[in-house]
Amino acid sequence: MSNLKNVTGPLSANNPIIVQILGICSALAVTVKLEPAFVMGLSVMVVTAFANLVMSLLRNGIPSRIRIIVQLVVIAALVILVDQVLKAFVYDVSKQLSVYVGLIITNCIIMGRVEAYALGNKPWASFLDGIGNGLGYMAILVIIAFFRELFGSGSLFGIKVIPESFYEAGYSNVGIMLFPPMALIIVGVIIWVHRSFNKDLQEK
Amino acid sequence: MGKINVNSNAYIITYSVVMVVIVAILLAVAALSLKPYQDANALNEKQTQIVKALGENPETAKYEDVIAKASIIDAEGNVIKTEEKAVFEALGKLKDSFAKGEFPLFEAKNGCVVIPLTGNGLWGPIWGYVALEQDKNTIKGVVMDHQGETPGLGAEIASDAHQAQYVGKQIFVDGELTGIIVKKGGATVGSVNEVDAISGGTKTCDGVTDMFKNSLANYVGYLKPAAAPINVEEPVELIPVTEEVKVEAVEVSNDKIEQSNE
Repeated sequence: MSNLKNVTGPLSANNPIIVQILGICSALAVTVKLEPAFVMGLSVMVVTAFANLVMSLLRNGIPSRIRIIVQLVVIAALVILVDQVLKAFVYDVSKQLSVYVGLIITNCIIMGRVEAYALGNKPWASFLDGIGNGLGYMAILVIIAFFRELFGSGSLFGIKVIPESFYEAGYSNVGIMLFPPMALIIVGVIIWVHRSFNKDLQEK
Repeated sequence: MGKINVNSNAYIITYSVVMVVIVAILLAVAALSLKPYQDANALNEKQTQIVKALGENPETAKYEDVIAKASIIDAEGNVIKTEEKAVFEALGKLKDSFAKGEFPLFEAKNGCVVIPLTGNGLWGPIWGYVALEQDKNTIKGVVMDHQGETPGLGAEIASDAHQAQYVGKQIFVDGELTGIIVKKGGATVGSVNEVDAISGGTKTCDGVTDMFKNSLANYVGYLKPAAAPINVEEPVELIPVTEEVKVEAVEVSNDKIEQSNE
């Protein structure tokens, strides 16, 4: 039961983006369209889960003085693997994500979870914790990207959803949706809505 | 585990070395085993862009159906190599190829040619392909891409709307290579070689101007014999046209000033 909580907790009550306010940078950068946002979320989830798993397996043997270096090497290796796989199999998306895949290394969520959780917990629980945090990250990215793509480009997953007749009637895509500032505003709105439903998160 | 001193120097060094070796092997294996897929993707992307430059839809027209011959030429326009693999390899490191005097060229089945371009934008490299009509002077289509130009400003060079401006423009004026001038403040009316620059993207647009000029300069030996005769007539028609436009504009503005004074 406690393991299940590792997955569900970060989805809402302990969400890495909207509660812990980590990983904002990439959340603003890759959410113009749903597809890259989804792939980015998936990549972060894979890296977080496996970094947690590996670090948890190694936790008793790691010299504490080089702990952070070991974490960085493991995370960097996983990120390079993910980058290579993306380049090989979803080339277009990997091009859109450009530097942000490499920058997963610096995503605070991953280091944060490894340091705070994986080093003190069993492998399976750590793995699930990574999956949970990755899912929480992905969920927010997908929500932001949904609004940005719908109102910015009039499409979802690249498929036009706003009918041509709307455009003929004078509707036009909202240009600012395509720029990072609007993503920040959407994150703010999500946090606002989320906290108004979760009274215990509100600061006094 | 308990018996080993986890914090001794010897342990730390051994640990680091073993870890680094394992990670290195892992990454090397992954890189090598995924390389064929990545190369295929990169090749496919180049071919798609070449097809797009020719104005064809890459989803319906395959590279093999559109392009008759890929080759590398020298400064005089003589063919050096024709193996497709060598051509795309030269295309992959275009700046080096240009410096070595190897110029990749693609001849389409309909007589058009596609020339690769490379240059620098404001933040990083920009590149593209320009397709020329049978006269080897008039632009049939342009495809441009960039690594990290500012979204909404310089990055607009990759947009269809910007690239559409190049169609029908000419790279030779008066028999001289001028390339395409991406002009701040807007192209002169009636100009054959100017297109509008992007507001806020002037540096990137200057980069595009240089890219056309410098890249195409390598192909003058190949393009000129075909392009020269066509250009003999055109300047004669063009210069008066632009002058007339300017004169009219001045007159109109004078009238307006006078009227407003009255």
